[in-house]
Amino acid sequence: MSFLTLDHLQKSFGPTRVVHDFDLAIEKGEFISFLGPSGCGKTTVLRMVAGFETPSAGRIVIDGQEVTRARPNQRRIGMVFQSYALFPNLTVAENVGFGLRVAGVSRAERAGRVAEMLDLIGLPDLGGRYPWQLSGGQQQRVALARALAPRPRVLLLDEPLSALDAKIRVSLRNQIREIQRQLGITTIFVTHDQEEALSISDRIVVMHKGVADQVGTPAQIYNQPATDFVAGFVGTLNRFAAEVLDPARGLVRVEGAEIALDRPLPAGRIMLAARPESLRIAAQGIPAEITGAEFLGSVQRLRARAAGGEVVLDRFNEPGAELPGPGERVHLAAAQAGWLVLAE
Amino acid sequence: MKRVWSWAALIAGALYFLLPLIGTIEFSLRMRRGEYSLDAYRSVLSDPNFRATFGYSVAMALLTILLGVLIVVPTAYWVRLRLPRLRPVIEFVTLLPLVIPAIVVVFGYIRLYNTSSVLPLTGTASGTNLLLLCGYATLALPYMYRAVDTGLSTLDVRSLTEAAQSLGAGWARIIGRLILPNVLAAVMSGAFLSFAIVIGEFTMAALLNRPAFGPYMQLLGANRAYEPAALAVIAFAVTWGCMGLMQLISRLFGTRRQAK
Repeated sequence: MSFLTLDHLQKSFGPTRVVHDFDLAIEKGEFISFLGPSGCGKTTVLRMVAGFETPSAGRIVIDGQEVTRARPNQRRIGMVFQSYALFPNLTVAENVGFGLRVAGVSRAERAGRVAEMLDLIGLPDLGGRYPWQLSGGQQQRVALARALAPRPRVLLLDEPLSALDAKIRVSLRNQIREIQRQLGITTIFVTHDQEEALSISDRIVVMHKGVADQVGTPAQIYNQPATDFVAGFVGTLNRFAAEVLDPARGLVRVEGAEIALDRPLPAGRIMLAARPESLRIAAQGIPAEITGAEFLGSVQRLRARAAGGEVVLDRFNEPGAELPGPGERVHLAAAQAGWLVLAE
Repeated sequence: MKRVWSWAALIAGALYFLLPLIGTIEFSLRMRRGEYSLDAYRSVLSDPNFRATFGYSVAMALLTILLGVLIVVPTAYWVRLRLPRLRPVIEFVTLLPLVIPAIVVVFGYIRLYNTSSVLPLTGTASGTNLLLLCGYATLALPYMYRAVDTGLSTLDVRSLTEAAQSLGAGWARIIGRLILPNVLAAVMSGAFLSFAIVIGEFTMAALLNRPAFGPYMQLLGANRAYEPAALAVIAFAVTWGCMGLMQLISRLFGTRRQAK
């Protein structure tokens, strides 16, 4: 039995259906990301779990207790917002202690817990400050401590890093994951940033037009995208139109080059795809013309024109290896496992 | 050349506003023949009626502020949170007291709540006081609502509410502990405007026959020579004091906001 169950959730605003048939079972202590473009319904699902929206249909069960229609202040859920939403009239310590105060925890016990939480987020000395005296990253850490202080059953993070600058974003996301592991708290993290989702999640739910397109580990999502949308949204993808020569053996032809995929395929034309790091320059394969090269430090990124489109391939930097120059004609190939077949 | 005209405009304006004031002050000091004295002020301040009516009006003003806050803060908050589309309508309604003369409002009250009505508020002194209080709150509504609504616009009302809810807080705590303290500067400026209005209000108090400061000023003005001038100066001082306090408080609270 899972800890948090979302059972056939639906939500419509007037005639617009924002969430279709959303099903998800989350284990205790799991870190789940909802990933998708804006307007895909990920925030709406999160807000239904928090109780700020009522589902049009379906059930939400937390730890065996149905909360579908429970008020938000009865659910014992911690929430962190993109805008921090710290209470401007309260100090950091009062902010963190707010939930405990509501719950009627004694002053002494509250002080202890607040100190513990401020230690956890690494800001033990800032209890007496007001929110406007803190940087964005500090404010968001305080918001995290505030959400965690009353020991919620579930932690919801609504794009918590989107308002921060790039460097802090990375360090704070690692810190969030670290704290989440330490406390073992079941967490849902909403983001439109695939790198964020891939780097910190146990499982990712890729959402598209109100439906969960795929639920899986970051590696599954990246390496075995279930739908065309997932393949295109997560990571960069090079696409090649291919003609199936032998459906049973999985032999296809792209721009005159024959590729053996070794898996059963439908007859006719299919769409093949490969990640930039799966492609390599080989003696034979799909003919291509290099159009540019970028040096990114650990990675070299080559751009090429092949099969009538732009193609990107990444390879690790090797000192001494020469980058092919623009205009150079090469052939591209990939390992069998590196080829994805997209549903057309 | 332009300079000259702007100075001329400034001086003309200053004369227009200051001359009557200076005249009033000068006149209020001339009660004793041939020399300046504070006799008129002494006479006013020692009049038990002055103290009674001024005290009554101050008490009414404070109650008006309280009632205004209780009505306006939750309303403005709720409109911003849940009924944003109703905002223009509510704004229009709160502006009505500026368009409808107080005398119309008070006659309406008297017709609705007279002794032969279902709710005979005018039958008792306390009932009439309540009616007057409601009338004052109505008069103060445009100022109170605008002030509070402006204060709320500086807050992310929705996120703050949801954050508090997810931490287990109910409506009373959200409004009392979070929303009200954060719009306090705005509430204060609305409160002082309300105070100034209630202290000088005449129509409602006179027609409801309550012993307020406005009717007292009128009565004194009709019967004495020097005291009304002294009273006018005192009323001016009180009003200006209120404006000063308003500035001071919004500046004190304002510095904290600006630091954002």
